[in-house]
Formats: sequence, structure tokens, C-alpha cells
Amino acid sequence: MSAPRAVSASGLAVEATSRARGRPGPLQRRTSRAVLVTLLPGIVALVLFFGVPIVELVRTSLSSWTGIGDEEFIGLRNFQQVLGDTAVLKALLNSVLLGTGSAIGICVLATILGALVSAGIRGSRVYRIVWFLPGIAPPSAVAVFWSLSVQPHSGAVNAVLGALGLGDTHAWLAQASTALYVVIAVAIWQGAGFAFLVILGAMEEVPVSAYEAAAIDGASPLRRFFSITLPLIRPVLSMVVLLEAIWAFNGFTLVWGMTKGGPGDATAILPVQVYKDAFQFGNFGPAAAIAVVGGVILLAFGFVGQWLGSRKAADE
Amino acid sequence: MRRHASVGGAAAQLWAVLWSVLCALPFLLIILLAFKSNTDIFTDPLGVVDIRWSPGNFAEAWNGPEGGQGFALYLVNSAIVTVVALVGCVLLGAFTAYFASLASPRVRTAIIRGFLVATTMPLVMLLIQYYSAFNTLSLLSSPWALGVLYAALCLPTCVLILHGFYLGFPAELREAAAIDGLGIVRTFVRVVLPLSRGPIVAVALVNGFFVWGETQLAIVLLQDPTSRTIPVGLLDFQGQFSADTGAIFAGLTLATIPLVVVYLVFNRAVAKGVALGGVFR
Repeated sequence: MSAPRAVSASGLAVEATSRARGRPGPLQRRTSRAVLVTLLPGIVALVLFFGVPIVELVRTSLSSWTGIGDEEFIGLRNFQQVLGDTAVLKALLNSVLLGTGSAIGICVLATILGALVSAGIRGSRVYRIVWFLPGIAPPSAVAVFWSLSVQPHSGAVNAVLGALGLGDTHAWLAQASTALYVVIAVAIWQGAGFAFLVILGAMEEVPVSAYEAAAIDGASPLRRFFSITLPLIRPVLSMVVLLEAIWAFNGFTLVWGMTKGGPGDATAILPVQVYKDAFQFGNFGPAAAIAVVGGVILLAFGFVGQWLGSRKAADE
Repeated sequence: MRRHASVGGAAAQLWAVLWSVLCALPFLLIILLAFKSNTDIFTDPLGVVDIRWSPGNFAEAWNGPEGGQGFALYLVNSAIVTVVALVGCVLLGAFTAYFASLASPRVRTAIIRGFLVATTMPLVMLLIQYYSAFNTLSLLSSPWALGVLYAALCLPTCVLILHGFYLGFPAELREAAAIDGLGIVRTFVRVVLPLSRGPIVAVALVNGFFVWGETQLAIVLLQDPTSRTIPVGLLDFQGQFSADTGAIFAGLTLATIPLVVVYLVFNRAVAKGVALGGVFR
């Protein structure tokens, strides 16, 4: 679960177009003092709610703190402890698995769905609405619903499988070997709608003339998809993959609602580890250190992703 | 059907229908199970004939378990949090976005960059410090304070989306208002705000879905059981009603179906919000 955010590419596009437009005029060249004053509340909110907490987080990660009283500076001891802790490393691995697994699943599925609708499949106006439904349900409701639905016997999924003669005693969430896959499947179910809308938007930007030319050349629909659509939507697609991976990496609510990180530590991801350490055991220092480690990994991941994306774009 | 509808076309349609069923069926199932007795949920979750209907599940979910809280209270808390958050983030967001569009390119770029960076910050990195700040200020268990925090968290998305809209705002309207003697703030309130209703609705919806469903912060900052919002309350239900699945499904119905209705009514504005770059998770 993470804050709502604007897809960064669109923000950058806004910057680029405004610069290119470069409207001259006294208002634009220098910012009047009155305008600067009006911008203050927003800037203060940004510093107070985002800037200060990050600085404070780093400070807490270098301290020993139980939630009450003063913080005691202990240097890098929290990091040493955290990076040597097998539970934390397991959580890191789970986060990476959840992030990559659901991002890939979501984007493959969303690309197929987008291709169907942009090809003008019948009923696509209804599909557009229905496929986004899972995305609007609160994540905790999604977690509760699916965890009940995969229960043996009484769960709807098992009931369906039982009716098909495939057995209704599957206890996937209770088994360490399968629990994470259930969470990934639910993350895909919930996340596909958003990715579908964004990818569909990119597909609809592809000029019709490109398809017409290919059709005249006798290219099959499948061939057109792979040689025209896919290369042209690649920048958007890679951005969606990156965003979905980051969100799933941070997806506290689904995991907490479905398994609380269990059985054992089979589905514990970094945010769950932070929550347990800080708010159940009162070890705020190590928890902050885990949060810092997770943030640094995400940052590196984001930079590499953007770098790969921009390099690919430059190649073409 | 067109004559040359191929095997591929049929497969595509089948796939589309299957995914639609998988998307919509859970919502119908939640409603169905919310009306069933616990024994029927356990022995025949999918059946619709020979069922002992049990609308009392809703009363249980509404009032909560004995000595606990129910949806009557969660709904009030969720409403407080959402209204405070949306009013705050939309007003300050529109204000900041509009005046950023009047600033010089350098100032504007700096501000937009700042908000872009803020959107990439994972909640888990902010959680601990918010807790310690709320603790110090004795604001734990206050839905009002959580609403203010959500407003700040939604601010970057609001600013980024609305800024794009205001960049294209006709300068003539601004100039006409200036000739009429309106100051820049009054121009914003009287001229700009009324003309940006469309994008503001889209932004409010996108952020509204986020705030309504946010769990990670709420679970930490709303310590007192009587201060909890719907998503946290649902997780409590899971523990408290472990033997009373019907009541949990009634809770799920109360938590999701109103959202579905809002979405079906406003689905164009929601899709527009997503297309403009708004994302809620």
C-alpha cells in the first residue's frame, strides 16, 4: 500500500511541453512575489510531511529507540543487525518475488486485455468498465475476501474446484510453499485493471496508418501486434512494469490481510517486517533501518529501470 | 456476427468473457454470502437454492461483535477521514498547481520536481516518523488528524495532475479578471476554480478511492478500536468474527458495494483521472 501518485512520465511530459511552449511575457520570465507567497503553503506541506520524515527516519535508523523516551545514537549497529538477520533477508527475497511476479503477471495480462479492446472486440465498452472493478475495492476487503475464498471446503475457489472434480481441500494459504503464490495471484487480480487502462491508452495513440500499411503488406493481426503495437508502447509498458513492481514490493495490506506474513515467515515482506519490528516488538531502530534498506533498493531499482527505459528509447 | 469471424476472434471473446466473470463474480459472491447463514456458507458456498437466508448478518456487521465496534462507527470515522483529506488536498492542490503554472519556468520546474520525488516515496519509509510525531502530539486515534495527514499525502498527485490542466488554462480569462480589478487570489477563487470542476472531480475520485481503502497508516495511527476506519475495521472483523463468516461477508458488502456504485456512476471521470496520471493504491 502506498500513497497515490502521478505516473512520473506524464509529469515529465508536462514539463517538456511547457518548456517547449516557452510563452514569453512578464508573468512568465520572473515569478512575482505574490505568486511566490501563494506557493508557500504547498512547499511547507511538502517539506513537513515528506522531507522532514525522511531525514528523521535516517536518524532513527542510527539510533536505539523503543517508542518512548529519548533516542540513543548507536551508529550503524542497526544496519549490521538487520543485514545479518535471516528473517529480514527472507523478507527481502519475498518482496522481490512478490514485486517481480505480480508486475510481470499484471503487465502480460493487461497487455493482452488492452490488445483485445483496442482491436475492437465486441462489448469492449462494457469490458473497459468491468475490468477496472477489482482495482477500486479497498485492498483490505480484497485480502479478506480472497483469504476466505481459498479456505478448504468452505472457500468459493475450493467449491468450484470440488464441483469440477479437482478436490476441495486445497489449503494454499496454510502451506509455506504456496502461500506467496496466492498473494501474487490476488495482487495480479487487483492490479490488472489499472495497468490495462494505461496500456490501452498507449495503444490507442498508435497511428491507424501504421496498421493499415501493415495490413496492405499482408501482415497477420498477431504479426501486427508484435511488430507494431508492442514496440510502440514499450516506453509506457516498461514504466507500468516498474510502477507495479514498486507497489507490490511495498504492498503491506494484501499480505497483512491474507497471511500476516505467515505461515512462519513464508510471506513476510519488508513492510510487514517493519510493522512487526516497530509496532509489535518496539524495536524502532532496526525497523527504521529495514525501511531505509528497502527504500535504497527501490531507488536503485527505479534508477536502473529508468536508465534502461531511456537507453532503449535512444537506441530506436 | 461477421462471416469471417475466425477461431482467433472466438478465442479472444472467450478470454474477455472469462476475465470479466473473474472480475465481477467476487462482488456478486460477497453479496450472496452476506445473506447466507454460517452453516450454508460452510456446506454450500455457491448454491442459491434451498438456502436459509440470514439478513441478520448485516445487523451484526453494523453493530459489531459484543463489546466491539461495528460499521456504524467505522463508517463515521471513514467519512471524517475522507472528507477532511479530499477537501484539504483538492483545495491546496488546485491552489498550488494553479500558481505554480504562473511561476517562471525555473521555479515551476523545481516545484514540480519536488512533488514528483514525493510521489515516489514509499509509505513504509514515512510510517515510523508519522507514528512518533502523532504520539508526541497526542494525535494517535484521531480520525481528524489522519485526514489531515492523508490530505498531505495526496497533495503531490493533486498538484501534478491539476498542474497539467492549468498550464493549458486560457491566459485571456486571467487577464480579463485582472482588468476587472480582481487580485490573483480572488481570480483563482472566482474564475479558475469554477472552471476546473471536471479535473477536480477526477482528482478527488482517484484520491478518494485511495483514502477510503488506506490501511497501512490507519492500522498504526488509529490505535483506539473506536477510532478505526472501514478497512482496518474489516481486518478486526476477521479476528473477532472468525466463527461468524456471514457477518464478515456482510461487512465486505458494506465496504465494497457503495464504492462499486460510485464507480459505476462516475466511471468516466475515474478513467479520466487514471489517464491523467492519477493512481491509487
